[in-house]
Amino acid sequence: MEEKEACTVHDLGLVFFPAFDWAISPDHPEREERLLYTRDQLMEEGLLDLPGIIEYRPEIATEDDLKRTHICIPSVPVVASKSHLIAAGGSITAAKAVMEGRVKKAFALLRPPGHHAMRLVHGSRGFCTINNEAILIEYLRKNYGSRLKIAVVDTDAHHADGTQDIYYNDPDVLHISVHQDGRTLYPGSGGPDELGGPGAYGMTINIPLPPGSGDRELLFVTKHLILPILQEYQPDIIINGAGQDNHYSDPLTHMQVTAEGYAELTRLLQPDIVVLEGGYAIEGALPYVNLGIILALLGMDYSRVQEPNKERDLVIAAPEVLETVKQVVGFLQEVWSKRRDINLDKIFGSDPCWRRKRFIYYDTDDIHEQQGDQIRRCALCSGYRVIHSWAQKRNARESRVAVVHLPWHACTECRNKAEEAYDRLNPGAQLDRVYLQDVENDLFLEK
Amino acid sequence: MRYIIGIDVGGTNTNACLLQIDEAHQGQVVKMAKTPTVHENLLFSTKQVLAEISRDLTVQDWTALEIHLSTTLITNAIVEGKGDPVATIVSPGPGLCLADAGLSIPLSSVGGAIDHRGRETAPLDMDEIRNALRGADRQGAKVVAVVGKFSPRNPKHELAIEDLIKREFPEFYPPTLGHRLSGRLNFPRRVNTSYLNAMVARLQREFIVKISQTLQEKGLSLSPDPREVPERPRRKVFLLKADGGTISLEKSVTRPIETILSGPAASVMGALALTEARDSCTVVLDIGGTTTDLSILVHGKPLAEKDGAEVGGYKTVVPAFFSRSIGLGGDSVVRYQAGRIRIGPERAGKAAALGGDSLTPTDAIVLTDGGSFGDRHRALAVMKEFCQKTGGSLQERAEEINQAFCQQVVQAINGIFAYLNSRPVYTVSEVLTPRELKPEKLIGLGGPAAYYLPRIARLLAVPYEVLPHYEGANAIGAAASRPTASISLRVDTAFGRAMVPELDFVSSLSHPALFDRKKAEQLAIKSVKEYAGQIGALHPGARFEVDEEEVFNMVRGFRTVGKLFSLRAQVKPEVIKVSP
Ligand SMILES: [Zn+2]
Ligand SMILES: [Zn+2]
Repeated sequence: MEEKEACTVHDLGLVFFPAFDWAISPDHPEREERLLYTRDQLMEEGLLDLPGIIEYRPEIATEDDLKRTHICIPSVPVVASKSHLIAAGGSITAAKAVMEGRVKKAFALLRPPGHHAMRLVHGSRGFCTINNEAILIEYLRKNYGSRLKIAVVDTDAHHADGTQDIYYNDPDVLHISVHQDGRTLYPGSGGPDELGGPGAYGMTINIPLPPGSGDRELLFVTKHLILPILQEYQPDIIINGAGQDNHYSDPLTHMQVTAEGYAELTRLLQPDIVVLEGGYAIEGALPYVNLGIILALLGMDYSRVQEPNKERDLVIAAPEVLETVKQVVGFLQEVWSKRRDINLDKIFGSDPCWRRKRFIYYDTDDIHEQQGDQIRRCALCSGYRVIHSWAQKRNARESRVAVVHLPWHACTECRNKAEEAYDRLNPGAQLDRVYLQDVENDLFLEK
Repeated sequence: MRYIIGIDVGGTNTNACLLQIDEAHQGQVVKMAKTPTVHENLLFSTKQVLAEISRDLTVQDWTALEIHLSTTLITNAIVEGKGDPVATIVSPGPGLCLADAGLSIPLSSVGGAIDHRGRETAPLDMDEIRNALRGADRQGAKVVAVVGKFSPRNPKHELAIEDLIKREFPEFYPPTLGHRLSGRLNFPRRVNTSYLNAMVARLQREFIVKISQTLQEKGLSLSPDPREVPERPRRKVFLLKADGGTISLEKSVTRPIETILSGPAASVMGALALTEARDSCTVVLDIGGTTTDLSILVHGKPLAEKDGAEVGGYKTVVPAFFSRSIGLGGDSVVRYQAGRIRIGPERAGKAAALGGDSLTPTDAIVLTDGGSFGDRHRALAVMKEFCQKTGGSLQERAEEINQAFCQQVVQAINGIFAYLNSRPVYTVSEVLTPRELKPEKLIGLGGPAAYYLPRIARLLAVPYEVLPHYEGANAIGAAASRPTASISLRVDTAFGRAMVPELDFVSSLSHPALFDRKKAEQLAIKSVKEYAGQIGALHPGARFEVDEEEVFNMVRGFRTVGKLFSLRAQVKPEVIKVSP
């Protein structure tokens, strides 16, 4: 029988979901056509006939899967479309295949992307609504062990501010984002000084690259910073948020990475699970980058994966660019090595709570959000969190909510305080809704 | 009144049927015949069964006769590696390394590249190709296949090489070109298909000559009549293809590869001809001596292989019914291992009850169902021997063999459905409305079907139907089949270009901005008509349809620059309904 036997372990599980019938709007970069040429390239290469690869149909993520990660306001069905649920579900499908040992690695080659989606979701920002990687991570922690050590390496050209927001104070998730310098690109954040909250300081690593950076810079960062950190951290699972908009032909960014560079990065990183993020050079980059990533994941030769006219279009960055990158790498190497010795009071103050005020803009849906966020500084756990959020959508009433969030492995005291906080907060003149998210007990309350 | 003779050359027997076709294109079985297949000489078996089935036909009948032949000639040649030495020239362009593409055939790789939208991204070097052809000549190649990556998106390079061969290497003319065999994207499969097509081309030519001679002896001329029009009764020979359609004998000379795996297709066509099969999901089981072939009908339509047929370990782009063959049949080996009975996958030889030496499932049938055939005493003897070795009573063991046979079939059926239900889909709407397939009915044919089908159906708790003339129903299927043909149309309005690779058709659009879905459909239908004419598939009453359609807006820099249309159009697959 030609069907690939279910009992053999494949080198790579592929969840390919191009969502050929879904777009943000007809001429939006996140449209039906985005993975069309990638599909054509993968089909013409006969990739799915290779014995090492097996294709899976994506499952549909459930409301519970989303509520383990997000607080969707006003509700999951209002915020997340079916295609979002399939993209998140497909990421779960990929992760499951790896965890159950059916495949050595998995690639969720799907859209829409998710890495700009934060814990609170009022709508879409940066083409993202729900966070595929975070939803799969919470699925893994729920089903395969709450103490899993997870590393997310986001290689999209944009700062993974959504994933960072979700894991900023989570000591079990190391989040590394390498991206075009936020001073020159949406969403603007992701400086090297954003290093994590008081409960997980040093577990967020941001590596901004100057515009014009290419394979040389990306691979330098990988070899001299990311790999040594991973080597020391020894994660159980490495997830790569594989955005492809660092490509030299991407219309939205200013980077010079090639398909071969992406493949080389993948070979070095050896991620267990790869999830597609952005990438909008749909003809000139995606077919080749995706092919390169797949071949690298299979351990196959990708040296012939070459974009047409590369010699003509590729600009190698000036040597000063690499020098700038080396400085950032040097700074972060030092931070990482000293992260446990740093006096957190100097950074977060000596209050029992760490308080932040933030303004978040949802560019895709034109929503302005203000957040007041406080995290309890606790010696026994990463501390419960209370978030107040005011969101203003054009031509709509302001939406005001409060969220009480209990992290994994919350201590009894934090748990009691969180429950008190939830009891104290009530909908009324000041608040439309109040939510309690208790991830460890898979509990989601709202009133 | 006209007649169609259907012949199916099977692994064990060659079956034939004579159908009488009435004015309403309905068939009636007049006669069945069978003869053992002589593997070394398939033509001999074909001639024999033809002589028998046509014995009572008058000269008058012969003038309006069609012969539909399902033969294993090409399939066997591929499996046994017979045929001419082929030089396969490939232009792989950038991408997967050729050495990693899973191709087991010798390849001669040349430069040049076409990208996914059909743009030439690197030109051919004609001197390099001349060198490759000279090398092929030195190494004794007799035929040439030429395949470029993305050639269905732009056949320019393949055509240039063909032209070079015509002018400078006439001994290799005509080569097999990849883009003409399929418009679907899958370079390694297209390479395999083109290689095999070139390899068996001479065998097919010889076969055509021999069949023509055989029929000429019967006074049936095969030379195409120039005045012939589709409406006139035809005196023609057709070959059955893997997709259950036919191709005319003469036209098969350029595409012999399409006649592979016609056996399983004949079974399915038999089921379609003899039943209504309107249930949402029917499994067709052709239980033979050596193997059982399983196919699926969904709402009366045969399920197709997603990418193409696989034959002799070669993955191809040849359109084919979905079919899985398991090594389980009336003549399979019966073993007793670890307290369990296992049947197959090897063939034991003829059943003891039918004059062989070893115990087979057929012997168990003879003993339990009081089969009205075979030598009960011989069956008893081998079964006794089996019981002595394994312990257990005679009736028990025989019943266990029947059960094991059926359970192995059920297992295979369940495996197939698990696979079908996990097949990936690429749109939101397909994910949301999953067509969960499950077996709802069984249709059986082949010698042992009458015995096993009721038991298998009981295990699956579904109704069943054993086809009339079940032993030779595949010959009825061959007779009841009609020509099929399909083309791929690709229109890229940003480039202002339309093309149909199967036809070598490439044309500039006069008003790309005005090209729409309706125009695309019209062009696809026009193209498939033309193609059907070329390959002799333009039968009277043929209907045409667009069966796949994909339209994408192309947006560059927030501006719509054009549309991409990908369509498949086909001669609507049909079957002559036959009353037994
Ligand atoms: Zn991005
Ligand atoms: Zn605590």
